[in-house]
Amino acid sequence: MKVEKEALLKTAEEMKNKGFSYLVKITAVDNISSLVVLYFLRNLNTGEEETLEVELSPVDASVPSIMHIYKAADWYERELKEMFGIEITGRSAPRLLLEKWNGIEPPLRKNFEWGKPYKAMD
Amino acid sequence: MLIGESWLVSLLNSPSPYSEVLGLFAYAVFVGLLVIVVDYFLGWLERKIVAKAQLRHGPTMVGKFGLLQNLADFTKLLAKASYLPKRADRLLFTLALPFMLALAIFLILLLPLVPSFGFGNFASSLVLVFALFSFTPLFIFIAGASSGNKFAEIGSQRSVLMLLSYELPMIFVIASLGILAKSLNLFAIVQAQSKMWYIFFLPIGFFVFFISMLAELERSPFDLREADSELIAGWLTDVSAPSYTLALFLDYTKTFFGSLLMAMLFFGGWLGPVLPGLAWLLVKALIIAFFIMLVRATAVRMRIDRVLRLGWYVLLPLAVVNLIIAFIV
Amino acid sequence: MGQALQGDGLTTKINVGPIHPSTHGVLRLVVELDGDEIVNVEPHIGFLHRGVEKLMETRNYMQDLPYVEKLDYVAPEAYSEAYISAVESALGVEVKERAQYLRVVLLELQRIASHLLWLGTFLNDLGHFFTVFMWAFADRDKILRLLQEHAGARMFYVNMRLGGLNRDVPPGFEEEVLSVLGDIEKRIPMYESYLEKNEIFMERTKGIGAISSHRAIELGVTGPVLRASGVNFDIRSSKSYYVYDKLNFKPQVVSSGDVFARYKVRMLEMKESIRLVREAIRHMPPGDAVGMPIRLIIPAPKNKEVRVYRETPRGELLIYMVAGQQGPYRVSFRSPSFINLAALPEIAKGAHYADLFAILGSLDLVIPDVDR
Repeated sequence: MKVEKEALLKTAEEMKNKGFSYLVKITAVDNISSLVVLYFLRNLNTGEEETLEVELSPVDASVPSIMHIYKAADWYERELKEMFGIEITGRSAPRLLLEKWNGIEPPLRKNFEWGKPYKAMD
Repeated sequence: MLIGESWLVSLLNSPSPYSEVLGLFAYAVFVGLLVIVVDYFLGWLERKIVAKAQLRHGPTMVGKFGLLQNLADFTKLLAKASYLPKRADRLLFTLALPFMLALAIFLILLLPLVPSFGFGNFASSLVLVFALFSFTPLFIFIAGASSGNKFAEIGSQRSVLMLLSYELPMIFVIASLGILAKSLNLFAIVQAQSKMWYIFFLPIGFFVFFISMLAELERSPFDLREADSELIAGWLTDVSAPSYTLALFLDYTKTFFGSLLMAMLFFGGWLGPVLPGLAWLLVKALIIAFFIMLVRATAVRMRIDRVLRLGWYVLLPLAVVNLIIAFIV
Repeated sequence: MGQALQGDGLTTKINVGPIHPSTHGVLRLVVELDGDEIVNVEPHIGFLHRGVEKLMETRNYMQDLPYVEKLDYVAPEAYSEAYISAVESALGVEVKERAQYLRVVLLELQRIASHLLWLGTFLNDLGHFFTVFMWAFADRDKILRLLQEHAGARMFYVNMRLGGLNRDVPPGFEEEVLSVLGDIEKRIPMYESYLEKNEIFMERTKGIGAISSHRAIELGVTGPVLRASGVNFDIRSSKSYYVYDKLNFKPQVVSSGDVFARYKVRMLEMKESIRLVREAIRHMPPGDAVGMPIRLIIPAPKNKEVRVYRETPRGELLIYMVAGQQGPYRVSFRSPSFINLAALPEIAKGAHYADLFAILGSLDLVIPDVDR
């Protein structure tokens, strides 16, 4: 199901109320012209699945945090920030999963330069 | 052993005063050597017993039956670098372990190993042994607090807490033994078992004493110190390899002491037909050590608060019950 | 059960460093303690991050197969099978029927082996001195030998091919499997009675780290941890794949949600896996089980977006793959250990310090899976 970024929080709440209480994964795909963030939700009682797709522009990408709705979103959102450079708004700045990186392009983007030397934080 | 005994006795019975001192000295040296040999043997025994419980062989290659394995390991440990953390108190930290070892060997020296001679042959030797045994938590605390390491401090606090809690049931039990034997002289207690070993009179006492001794020796299931996943190595966290040799040696010396004590207090010490007294004592002590090590192979570690509960709420009342039984008997 | 812990509010931070004497893998926990009570646990991960998801984008489909296996060194068969299924879905390749049964046999054998390893390391964490570890590894070794007979390797098998396996089983394989299963079936009650009658084990695991089913769903935990809290959900029955529905698979659920329940779920799962393997061997049709041989150039994918749900021994694995021409455009793994570890701070709050390791052991984490 395609969702606009602005409608994300409302849609997530609706899903939770409909019984989709289990968050399976938040991930993202870098199609070079756009960045798609995917939320996999599941209803444990009926086994139904639902996917929310949010399309973002690759420049200044950000999504609101759904941590207050789904507690499991915490670490997944950290991973989004880390790997894709997508800012998560509405929560305290997530601690990076892999720490002590400095000055690297988000690795899972397609414009990541292989072999570019970087200086690790000390 | 028999030759040694009579040699000592004849030496003591000779008129010159120097011979008495020489006799005592010779006895002390003999005990020291005995401790070294038995400790080494206990180390080998532990590895073999634990291995057999785990369906494997244990050391087999170095020396016949793997007897030289521990020698090889100790040599390797001694060859490593010795260092101290910056915040450690050099003097206290370096001295803590040797003092503990000296204390442990001194305690064994006080025990009645042979019927005719010993340092502990005076009226309240049992009390003295336990009074000195209670110094162990003090040294553990010093070792932990002086090592300049948070883990070691916390670890030593936990160990001290456990050791102090478990001394009380032991004291009650030895009081009950003194009541039975009508004396607090270790030699008299062993001699008084010539008709019937005390284990048959006071089985609860033995049970309480065995478990408390396991806690005092910091052995499984009370081995908080060795909880690798938790506080690395408790108060031994910062000892470097050569001193760790001392720590291992200390561990086995204390185990030897514990087994000897239990053999003397409950199983009649040196009493037994045919064989010389010392041989019987060693056999009984080794059987008890066997069970101590078997517990290590099979027990799950207890949590510290459960350990303290066991000491205060279970063992202490049982020890009191035991005392009452001793009065009745 | 301990009494309520009373600290004085002064906390100290302890570092359970990335190097452990116990076999967890490189995981760093910063534990904030108030006396003996855990106030907060902060897992620091990333020590084993190898950038697998990015690396896989640069290789072909079959070249990527060993990458996926290295994600879980305890149960590599499960991951490699999941990945091959994803590629098969992308290319539209059907799995031969005999291969389906054979895959189930291998997967369930892997599950038994993984749970046996878990049992040994869990007991080590509790302070037991390697005894159950040695016994469990002796049993696991029998299973690894079986898998070696088929795949040629004891650990990273790489025996999955598109549409089947790399080769069929050697003659006499079925009898050996049944005999090994018979041995293990006799040993599992021995483990259970040894542990459940051990009062120290029971007091270290009963009531520790309990989470309700509602909380478990909220935290997003998966696998045996979820089923131990009373949530009846297993991919093998909800989104049944291969022949699990024909073999009448039943998820094993325990409702108490504590460390003991997670232990019990895994023991029950081992028994269920033994039954499944026996049924699968009995019903295995004759025929061909060999899949396509490895070719680096394969036909272009039919489905662009693929999702594969599998139940690994640790929990639910989701592979979301956007298929490219010769290799994946994007692979995303939803690893069970990742989310189970994320739930650790919540589960461990308020527990005694020593309980942290019981809880950590009961979650059955493998760190390469967390870090990818």
